[in-house]
Amino acid sequence: MAVYKKITKDNLVQFLQELTKDRILIAPVREHELVSFSPVADAGKVDFTFQNSFVPPKSWFFPQTEQIFSFRIEDGKYELSAPSLPGGTVLFGVHPCDLKSILALDPVFDGKFDDNYYCTRRKNTIIIGLGCQSVGRNCFCFKVGGGPLESNGADIFLTPTGGDFLAEGVTNQGTDLINKHSRFFSDSSAEQVDKEKREGTDRLLKQSTGLKGDFNLPKVKAFLDANYEIPYWEDLSYRCLGCGICTYLCPTCHCFDINDYARSGLEGERIRCWDSCQFKDFTLMAGGHNPRPSKKERVRNRFMHKFKYHEDRYNIFGCVGCGRCVQKCPVNIDPRKIILDLQEVAGND
Amino acid sequence: MTDFQNPILPRMAYITNIIDETSDTKTFKVEFEGGGKGDFLHEPGQCAMLSIPGVGEAMISITSSPTFKDFLEFTIKRVGRLTTVIHQLEVGDQIGIRGPYGNNFPYKLLEGKDILFIAGGFALAPLRSLINYVLDDEHRKDYGKVDIIYGARSVDDLCFKRELFENWPKKKDTQIFTTIDRPEEGWDGHVAFVPTYLEELQPSPENKYALTCGPPIMIKFVLQNLQKLGYQDDHVITTLEMRMKCGIGKCGRCNIGSKYVCLDGPVFFLDQLKQLPQEY
Amino acid sequence: MKGIEEQIRATSSQLLAAGDVQLVIGYGAGSDNSKTMPVFIKRAEDVGKLVFNPLCVSNLANYLLHWNNFEGKIAIVVKGCDSRSIIRLLQDKQIEREKIVVLGVNCPGQLKSGQAEAKIPVEAVLSEATVDNGGIKLQTSGGLITFSLEEGLLEKCRQCESSRPVVSDYLFGEKGFEADKAALQFNDVAALEGAPLEEKSRYWDKYFERCLRCYACRNSCPACSCRECVFDMVEPDWVAKTVNLSDNTAFHMIRAFHVAGRCTDCGECERVCPAEIPLRILNRKIIKDIKELFGAPMPGSDLEALPALSFYAVNDPESQN
Repeated sequence: MAVYKKITKDNLVQFLQELTKDRILIAPVREHELVSFSPVADAGKVDFTFQNSFVPPKSWFFPQTEQIFSFRIEDGKYELSAPSLPGGTVLFGVHPCDLKSILALDPVFDGKFDDNYYCTRRKNTIIIGLGCQSVGRNCFCFKVGGGPLESNGADIFLTPTGGDFLAEGVTNQGTDLINKHSRFFSDSSAEQVDKEKREGTDRLLKQSTGLKGDFNLPKVKAFLDANYEIPYWEDLSYRCLGCGICTYLCPTCHCFDINDYARSGLEGERIRCWDSCQFKDFTLMAGGHNPRPSKKERVRNRFMHKFKYHEDRYNIFGCVGCGRCVQKCPVNIDPRKIILDLQEVAGND
Repeated sequence: MTDFQNPILPRMAYITNIIDETSDTKTFKVEFEGGGKGDFLHEPGQCAMLSIPGVGEAMISITSSPTFKDFLEFTIKRVGRLTTVIHQLEVGDQIGIRGPYGNNFPYKLLEGKDILFIAGGFALAPLRSLINYVLDDEHRKDYGKVDIIYGARSVDDLCFKRELFENWPKKKDTQIFTTIDRPEEGWDGHVAFVPTYLEELQPSPENKYALTCGPPIMIKFVLQNLQKLGYQDDHVITTLEMRMKCGIGKCGRCNIGSKYVCLDGPVFFLDQLKQLPQEY
Repeated sequence: MKGIEEQIRATSSQLLAAGDVQLVIGYGAGSDNSKTMPVFIKRAEDVGKLVFNPLCVSNLANYLLHWNNFEGKIAIVVKGCDSRSIIRLLQDKQIEREKIVVLGVNCPGQLKSGQAEAKIPVEAVLSEATVDNGGIKLQTSGGLITFSLEEGLLEKCRQCESSRPVVSDYLFGEKGFEADKAALQFNDVAALEGAPLEEKSRYWDKYFERCLRCYACRNSCPACSCRECVFDMVEPDWVAKTVNLSDNTAFHMIRAFHVAGRCTDCGECERVCPAEIPLRILNRKIIKDIKELFGAPMPGSDLEALPALSFYAVNDPESQN
């Protein structure tokens, strides 16, 4: 049962503060010019107007560094203990692109083998999505099947209206939370929320200042299905520096490394950390063989993953159009341009 | 303590026997506390993550057949830091294990067929699980003739010598063709590289599946020669190896195109392999 | 700056057509007109892709390491600051002089990326640019866009030692930007040096804490030429892969010390850092110390002067002990 409500900015702060009483609140805060999703005790510190967080909120479910277990040896025997994972959490302020990225990550960590760490955090977290108040020049969610006011993936979704917000309970869990704290909300209706989202989306997209050109993702996918070796990837790879910026900031990238650290022979831990398919040693095998030996293979792997592999495996496009890599890539490797280029190459065939 | 719902948390098992196969390869018999393999039930061709906490973890094929009811076996070559430490372990020491992972050899599909196994060096280990399954008294009747072509660099590099020279040749309708790369004093068997030996033996593809494991260069020429002998791509089976960390399709490093070797492999038919990008 | 761009294109075209070089590494228009990107030109007919303007902020010298197995000769566009990297790579024998053709530019100064993105529309095609004391003026298809030097000029340009390349085979542009001498005095470093220890610690902690360990600083660095990097090694694992303040600090300290005496203050590390860590301060602290201790010039400013930390002199006072 969905509910449709209104909430003022002040009440929203109070609502969030109320939620911190029995939950961890993870929300966007601005620290030294960058916005990050961090644990927040004082809801007054939450940033409601940010364009894009530096690191995507995937880091809540899949932290950059996470202990798998710690161990010690006692009486000649290993004692392994997995860390306890966070309980009830509210993840607030997730923009539609990042909401969609969580839906793209779910089937990776769920599936035949549940990833206990991700899945536990995911199960214990209520996500409050926040519609965008502007579309940045690097944003392109609306070109990859999303939109600045799309609520998919949220439990509760907030649509900004001037200074205040319209609130939808998208899932039962979200609706329950709104109902439980109904004193912060006033009434609205499905029609009003719908209208505001439709008109808001039109308004936001008209203001979009980003790269022009229409995407035809099925065409790109079909082209990549049929063409693995194309000169384009090598040309593109020339300028790639092989750093991890794009993958670390990508809300759908999920590669990780596992390493053991022992403080002495008697105790230590096994850790997983984000890793990047752009690093040259990523696929290097113990015997020295590397299946992806040059930047060409590595750059191709990244974009094949976004535009084809992720869809092949999980039926979801691997890029949500958040624009983080567009903004931060030091050598202007821009997925929007790559899509347009591939469309052109495909068209010439 | 140990959470069995957590697939990347290993269980600690015990090493109950160690066999020196070659100068750098050992087979470790592994059992869980109190003996046996508990609920760790695998199919021939599957793998497991073995680890030593504080040192590391690696994907290793399970070389024992599921028909070995009371233990698991892993044949491990000393190549890096983890395997060096594992080689220093003794009977009674603990080792971490999680799995079983990956797909398996299509042993049901092979029923009623002749089987040709072709292996080089240490890579007999993954095939051995299926060989012992097929040659097991309970299953032998389900399969046709079994031929095993196996080669190594030298006599010392031949693994599973006891089975190779004593157990397997005694099985019904089973022939073993062993070869080494260069002549050696005291060796009166065949001398040739595996692909060449295959060419000499000319095993007919009639009603037969070929399964091959070995170093990449051997595989390359074995596959060429099988093709020359008339084996169809959907009757040739091999295994792939990629670097792995999680083993459960999440860490993202063992993909070949859209396939993850840890989930969708390691066993591939040649026709499937030909559909994959050449990135392995 | 149109003149420089035309000269770069004309020279590149000649060099490629005559077979004097097989590759030109230069700047091209980016996907967004507030950016340029490195381009790799192999055919004379493609030289039209080369541009030069105040958006050519990156140092291309690092690519010579990527291409060091290339059989042909390479022409590369360098600004004054970038040219020091060429000298350093020559001194370290990472590149061979006869395989490189240096297309030097008397650099008029470069624009801060943030300012460029804030003011230049995506579709605004740049037709002409000037930089002088009156500021930075960009003539675009979307009209004239201006920046005062104060708001627009890169910090490293304000501190520029030599806008004229210290090495070049061709030199383009009349006169480069001349920095105010007062800006050359390492005032930024001195300000932090003078702060109490706790404050310095807080300053760096807040930045190192958010380091992603993406290694962009290393990968973009022309001084980082090791084939196997200590940060990639797993056996032994000198620096843990874990991302936390302690390991991040170790990473940055090791990186800074590793390039000490070889860092030419090209600023690429700071430019590429997604976490906006002021890495130049760290590098410049070491450059300042070396300058004060050994009287050594900025690394890369003189082909004959070996870097202070890279040679041994028998008459060194320390060798007398």
